[in-house]
Amino acid sequence: MNLRLSDLSACFEGVIPSIIATASADGMPNISYLSHVVRVDDDHVALSNQFFAKTAANVRANPKVTLILVDGFTGDQFLLDIAFVRSVDAGPLFDKIARQLKASSAQVGMSEIMRLKSADIFRVHGIEKVPSPVDAAPAAGGRPPISLPALASAVKAIERQAEADEIIDNLLCGVEGVLGYGNALVLIQDNHRGCLVTTGSIGYPRSGLGSEVAGSEGMIGAAATSGQTIKVSDMSRVRRFGEAIGLEADGEEDATRSIPFPQLPTAMSQIAVPMLAHGIVTGVLFIESEERLAFREEDEAALEILAGQAAAALRASEREAAKAEPGQPPALVRPATAGREIRVVHHRFDDSIFIDGTYIVKGVAGTLLRLMLEWHLNEGRSEFTNREMRLAAGARMPEIKDNLETRLLLLRRRLEEKQAPIRLVRVVRGRVRLEAEGSLVLEAVANDHPQGSPAV
Amino acid sequence: MRLDDRLLDFFNRPLMCIIAAADETRRPSAGRGIGFRLLDDRETIDVIFSGWQWPRLETCIRQTARLAATFVSPPDYVSFQLKGSATMRDTDAPDLAHADRFMTAATNELESLGVPRYLIAPWLTPREARVARLAISEIYVQTPGPLAGMVAGAWSR
Repeated sequence: MNLRLSDLSACFEGVIPSIIATASADGMPNISYLSHVVRVDDDHVALSNQFFAKTAANVRANPKVTLILVDGFTGDQFLLDIAFVRSVDAGPLFDKIARQLKASSAQVGMSEIMRLKSADIFRVHGIEKVPSPVDAAPAAGGRPPISLPALASAVKAIERQAEADEIIDNLLCGVEGVLGYGNALVLIQDNHRGCLVTTGSIGYPRSGLGSEVAGSEGMIGAAATSGQTIKVSDMSRVRRFGEAIGLEADGEEDATRSIPFPQLPTAMSQIAVPMLAHGIVTGVLFIESEERLAFREEDEAALEILAGQAAAALRASEREAAKAEPGQPPALVRPATAGREIRVVHHRFDDSIFIDGTYIVKGVAGTLLRLMLEWHLNEGRSEFTNREMRLAAGARMPEIKDNLETRLLLLRRRLEEKQAPIRLVRVVRGRVRLEAEGSLVLEAVANDHPQGSPAV
Repeated sequence: MRLDDRLLDFFNRPLMCIIAAADETRRPSAGRGIGFRLLDDRETIDVIFSGWQWPRLETCIRQTARLAATFVSPPDYVSFQLKGSATMRDTDAPDLAHADRFMTAATNELESLGVPRYLIAPWLTPREARVARLAISEIYVQTPGPLAGMVAGAWSR
């Protein structure tokens, strides 16, 4: 064959539905749309054929099949002459097809309907281009290739950083500088709450720091669960995932203790790249673009390199910080700060923290702030070591030993973003100082079903 | 099989159409329809396609005299497949007018859903328009979901 499957990469993005024609044992034709065609190698494709019993029956009675694939950039059509080889309902290939299907169908609100039962593998015998009545459409992805020297520089910049905030900032900087994507988030795993928490953000009017995605929700959750990159390349007919977001006011945030997830309303492409270090997903790099098919294969590979480097650097940072931590908490006792009274409320049921009625953070980060405030009030000191925080919180939240730095980072950034009268300042590696604009009052609330704003 | 009132309503919507036939060796061929005409008996439909773009379709229909056509409503994926025996007939001026209306409606509908016009242009052409007359013997719901594959329409008296 003159054309090869590798020439048709833009046909496998799931942007334009493919078409499958089969014929029964007695020769009656059948035709239907297909949600996904996956390229297995240069000679085989896999089809998710989860709905149509007739197509499945025909394929088994008569393995001769014709496919129409459509290039998502140009609209060009290709006729493929293929033959059924076998069916798979388990294994890595099945998992890959199932993940892609789940991610994209979840986007259109059809995740319950579109559940993959099996995938069929076909051998490709011929490919021909269908004549087009129009001249070639705009060139596929008119962007230049990725600069490897620029990518190498971005990787080095991440690798050089020792602190979580610098690592995350450099990752986002690389995403923008090397690949040109202006809307990106870094979400860090919170195993304690079973979710991912936005810890870094660029390009959104509201940063969304502290917003959460449930561990299995949408493509971000799927990327974290599977450890695989998941993308959607054309969202023109796609419903946005997540709650009604972006338009909520701060008052809503205080009432619901949930921070709106950042949103690019005009997004046409999205990608969720797992941040993998030693086979463990520590977070997800999520990017949106207003371009259709914004994430080419090479972009995906570059993002995986950057995300992997950031995951490794974050892991190293946690370990270095644990090693470098000063053993003894500082003995300095400071008098209580004068000035106005600052009321801090901690809700035990979700470890949420409100300062003067404003929601700040919950979960591990909330626990850490409560600990520091208790120490401050009981012992009169304002500096705390990461080590003592690990020891104090570790019994209830064992995973904190691996992600204390990112939790402190989230806490610090939320305090800054909310312009809270309490700030967290890094003194030296492994030690932070609490600074308050007044005298602190800490109130613990044991309610487990808060209604509206907390009582203070 | 007859098209019932619900199906007649469906055929008044902007639609896309895909069609298949098989040759004597049972190798299927596929293509896109560019229009249709429902006959008054509600049991026959003329399906129009480009012989220039999909030459194998005409060959297959002439060889085996059978055709399958699936019509889909783009915004909600509601789809029906019609099957039966088919013959080729000569193309006339009203066929071209029907094709023109079908292609315009389909293009506008897809464009309203965010599909760029330049992307749609390669799919729909009236060049060397051909007409297959399909005597409908089977109608199936093809909408994704639990009803997919169910028989639709009404039995002929």
